[in-house]
Amino acid sequence: MSYLSIKHLSNSVAGFSLKDIDLDIEKGEYFVLLGQSGAGKTRLLEAIAGLYKSSGTIFYKKDEISKKNPEHRDIGFVYQDFALFPNMNVEENIVFAGRYREVEKKEEHFRDIVDFLDLQNLLERSISDLSGGEKQRIAIARAIYAKPKILLLDEPLSAIDPTFRNSIMKKLKEIHRRYDLTTIHVTHNFREASYLADKIAIIMDGSIEQIGSPDEVLNHPKTIEIAKFLGFKNIFSTALLDQEEKVNYFSIDPNLIHVVKAESNNCFDYSFKGNIEECMGITDHFKLFVNVNENQFFIKIPKRDYENCLSGVNNFITIGFNEKDIAYL
Amino acid sequence: MKLAYRNNIFNVTLIVFALVILFFLSVPILKMFVGVGSDKLMDAIKDGEVISSILLTMKVSMWAMVFVIITGLPLAYLIARYDFFGKSFLEAMIDIPIMIPHTAAGIALLSTFGDTGLGDFFKFFGIEFVGTEYGIMIAMMFLSAPFLINAAKDGFRKVDPKLENVARTLGANPFRVFFAISIPNARKDIVNGALMMWSRGLGEFGAVIILVYHPMTTPVLIFDRFSSYGLSYSAPVAAVIIGFSALVFLIIRFIVNRFD
Repeated sequence: MSYLSIKHLSNSVAGFSLKDIDLDIEKGEYFVLLGQSGAGKTRLLEAIAGLYKSSGTIFYKKDEISKKNPEHRDIGFVYQDFALFPNMNVEENIVFAGRYREVEKKEEHFRDIVDFLDLQNLLERSISDLSGGEKQRIAIARAIYAKPKILLLDEPLSAIDPTFRNSIMKKLKEIHRRYDLTTIHVTHNFREASYLADKIAIIMDGSIEQIGSPDEVLNHPKTIEIAKFLGFKNIFSTALLDQEEKVNYFSIDPNLIHVVKAESNNCFDYSFKGNIEECMGITDHFKLFVNVNENQFFIKIPKRDYENCLSGVNNFITIGFNEKDIAYL
Repeated sequence: MKLAYRNNIFNVTLIVFALVILFFLSVPILKMFVGVGSDKLMDAIKDGEVISSILLTMKVSMWAMVFVIITGLPLAYLIARYDFFGKSFLEAMIDIPIMIPHTAAGIALLSTFGDTGLGDFFKFFGIEFVGTEYGIMIAMMFLSAPFLINAAKDGFRKVDPKLENVARTLGANPFRVFFAISIPNARKDIVNGALMMWSRGLGEFGAVIILVYHPMTTPVLIFDRFSSYGLSYSAPVAAVIIGFSALVFLIIRFIVNRFD
């Protein structure tokens, strides 16, 4: 049995339902739950923590924790807005769990967390005058002070200044290893997911749609909806490639589609004649929208290679790409 | 923000209207102290009957407030946190005492807790409501509890449920969360509501006089002296209770603000 095993977890609150969620998470795994806003990510974390009444079972090793109250599940929770207690200062927030739980080697553990997260100068401060990054470190410190079996992070980077996101992502990985945690991290950002995750699950409309390694999920989405969510562009039927025997779809990166300048240079595996519908100049590149038999291709071409967005050519151009660059869905 | 444009006609209009209402709110209070004269004020302070009625009024109003803190906070929390059948009806019921005439409330209380089965039930436990401090307390409580319950309800609504959720995951059971997170983070509204209830209780007259004439609360004593001896005997008593109430109010506010 997995370290954390969730079977047929469902609930329905305020018109939104989690539907038959099955997840298996191994010890020490950094598990990322990826989905759009409103997909049910936070609801799922709250259900795992026991904050919503749900059907189904949750096993921690062989212990069924789904019948336990949140205070007995040993699950740490860090909310998106950190939910620090305004009636306590930073230190009181961090050691809150110590009032209600036996924390082994309290003092030593506290010192270690404070040093590692660089909180020494903040301990006496009120939480009302802290930056987003400071609040985040305190919320994480408060959760790990309780020595949870599993740490749940609800969009922990969304309230952080983008400048600091990369360093904080690195820190999250360090925290995960240093405190021997099993982490479930919720996000809508697939770049964040690809950096952090050992395993990714895609959640859409309250259901888990795909689970796998980052490479598997991010590069080989199972459905068009997942592909669109992951930012895949140019999704077309394989019929366009004359592969009619397989009713399927493919996607091609806008950067890997080329404009064929002269037919003599057309060395691409697939090429199509199309009509330029729109050309938008964006800083260092043009965004080109080309209609090929009622399929609109989106292409990015560098400004340095093309002057005036192909205004010299008539509206019809040839575009091409190679088989190796195609992602089949 | 300061009044940046003092000649602005809008600001002048605001100030004129504000002064009108301030006149009606403050002058009667000031007149009470200035008009009474220091001799009569000192006599009233030295008058044992006045002092014991003031202490009785403050004490019983405080007990009423404590009773509603213990029983009303859970009710306020239930309303703030949960949706349930009949919630709107319950909220309306809490507000009813604010709307009804206080003498009518006194009649309602007398016909419920007076010489009735329910009254006899409480008598069995040594609690009698007619002509006792219990009667004063229930009258004060009935008419001023909505101020505390509604303020606490607003306070609890302002506490983000996520704070309570996190506290649960950190090992606190719902009772501990209530005392460690919900109440402390709603304390401003709770304290304001409690002060409002307490001070409103001090002034309760209509319902109290129907249930309890003796022992006399200060409003009843003022009425008694006014109807028996006239304005010059009742005004000093009124001035003293206003002074005492304001003093206690300021002290509590000072303490609360210091700890905020």
